[in-house]
Amino acid sequence: MGFFFKKQEKQAQEERSLYPMLHIAGSLKGYRQELVQKEVAALQELSLVSSSFSGVMREADLFQNKLSDLGDSFSNIDEAAGQFGQVRGDIAESVTGAQAQMVELGKISAAVQASYEEMAGTFSQLQAAVNGIQQCMGKIVSIADETNILALNASIEAARVGAAGRGFSVVAAQVKELAGEIKALAGEVSDGVSEVEQRANELSGRISSSQETLGLGVGIVSQADESFQTITSAADGASAVQSEISDVIESSQAELQIICRFFDRIKDLYQDVQKHINNASNLGTTKSAMFEDMDNMISQIQPLVRDIENHSSLKS
Amino acid sequence: MKQFFGMSQRGNLDEALRGLHAPQFIMLFSNDGQFEKHVEELEKRFPGVPSIGCVGMSYQTQVVEKGVGIIAFSNGVRAAANVLEQVSTMPVKHIQRLEADMKAVGGSGENTVCIDFCSGNDACVLTTINTSLGKRSIPLVGGTGDQGKVSANGRVYQDAVAYGLVRNENGRVKTYKENIYHQLGNYRFIASNTDRANYILGSLNGKPAKQVYKDILHVTDEEILTRTFQNPFGKLNGNDTCIISIKEVHGNALACFRQVNDSDVLILLELGDYKAITQETIQRICADFPRRSAIFSVNCLFRYKLFSQHNYMQAYLQDMAALGCHAGLVGYGEHYNNRFVNQSMTCVVFE
Repeated sequence: MGFFFKKQEKQAQEERSLYPMLHIAGSLKGYRQELVQKEVAALQELSLVSSSFSGVMREADLFQNKLSDLGDSFSNIDEAAGQFGQVRGDIAESVTGAQAQMVELGKISAAVQASYEEMAGTFSQLQAAVNGIQQCMGKIVSIADETNILALNASIEAARVGAAGRGFSVVAAQVKELAGEIKALAGEVSDGVSEVEQRANELSGRISSSQETLGLGVGIVSQADESFQTITSAADGASAVQSEISDVIESSQAELQIICRFFDRIKDLYQDVQKHINNASNLGTTKSAMFEDMDNMISQIQPLVRDIENHSSLKS
Repeated sequence: MKQFFGMSQRGNLDEALRGLHAPQFIMLFSNDGQFEKHVEELEKRFPGVPSIGCVGMSYQTQVVEKGVGIIAFSNGVRAAANVLEQVSTMPVKHIQRLEADMKAVGGSGENTVCIDFCSGNDACVLTTINTSLGKRSIPLVGGTGDQGKVSANGRVYQDAVAYGLVRNENGRVKTYKENIYHQLGNYRFIASNTDRANYILGSLNGKPAKQVYKDILHVTDEEILTRTFQNPFGKLNGNDTCIISIKEVHGNALACFRQVNDSDVLILLELGDYKAITQETIQRICADFPRRSAIFSVNCLFRYKLFSQHNYMQAYLQDMAALGCHAGLVGYGEHYNNRFVNQSMTCVVFE
């Protein structure tokens, strides 16, 4: 009988007991603990993701900077090509200047040549005059010879006359002497004229060679003009090359812009991902606050149940 | 409504109460030696008027360190005060008191605030209180008192939280939290190996917390404690940061002034331009409330020490006084809604 009552009492105590609540609280606490551990792991993973992604963003930034540098290099090339164009312009300008000077040189050469030609004419006239002089000198020599013969004849005639012709003989001798002197002088003049002729011929040769040289110079001037035209057309060709380079650079820069825009879009997406990672991370921080709240509430269940049980047992 | 502040540096309650008439809610800030006596005397002077109290320093334009301070509301408030006991283990035990008082005072988050003084286990207490206040979105401002005792309606309680529900019948109320620290570097830690009961922080990102702190700030074990004014921890909660002060070195761990939990996300903080930040708060309050009846604030003891070290405390109180009727408590920890924080200022502004 006593055993039966004891059993009944124990059953009643069990029914009054709040142990099941404690059991639930204990289980909740266990679950919470597990949840917190998983949250720590999840947050650490998220932190690693965030850190890795920051690395990706850093690399993307670096790559974008490199692209930007590449764009700058293209700009530098374009600038250099532009400077090349400037140089080409300078060459063209110099060539044009040189060409004008060459034209002027040509004109001057032509004038010099005309002067040479005039000089040649004058020289011909000089040679004709010299020839005239030589002819005159020949005549003078001939006259002197004739005069000499005449003087000789006069001397012979005078000798034949005898004393009456002695004075005439003297005159004839003087005439002969004069004719000899005239002949000698004519010879000297003829030598001088020959000298003049020789020098004149030399001068003529020099003028001819100068004319030839001038002719060569004029030819060279003409060739230089052709060379200048070749330079100008070559420079124009270079200008076309520069223009092609600029076109290529422009098209490369356009391509680069497309790549940069692509990276901008990628960056936006990266930032979006980073934002979501941060949001997830922030949510994680609010979860930890909620865990604290849960813990703060769950931790009260046990003392509360004990308290209620104590009061119940005191009443009973 | 009106706010009254009275004080006696000598601890003379009559002197502190001089000029107080028809209060509708009273807060007492006393010293350890006179607390019980002051609680009793206050109840005799104003029987039935809802009141709460704690051991602690109060201030208006100057700090009352060892005397007695009184802050009271009148002319247009409806208030109720009570206490939740056994807070170290089960603050929820008497939660019905709070719910009954909420019902009696009425109001909502727009016009009602809960002011609390707690003797310990603050985080748990705030979580518990907020389970009720949260239903009506009623904000909370409060702090931790000294010596593990508080008072409510003329009685002193150990291991309890005293609360007062105050409804502004003539306008809005709003609570603020001021943080004079900002993040140092990009450090972000996940706390683990914590001991929530003893406020121990064991590991940060799996490494011993002490070593992590030392490595970042290049300080010795001895220097760690001197750096808490400069570099406390911040616990992230969404967009909010709750400051956690370092109390002492505990082996390879750090003991704090607030519990840290496994999975808490922490950052390292550094002192910001506190003068500019306090001015920003003042401007924000002015913008939110062009007309202010009263401002009650709780300033952390560490902030008081920091401001005093920098000869700024007096200027700070003068600046706050420019807002109107401002008074408050120097707390050992600050309460803001359901969050227990350190090294902060929390306040409630009444329109």
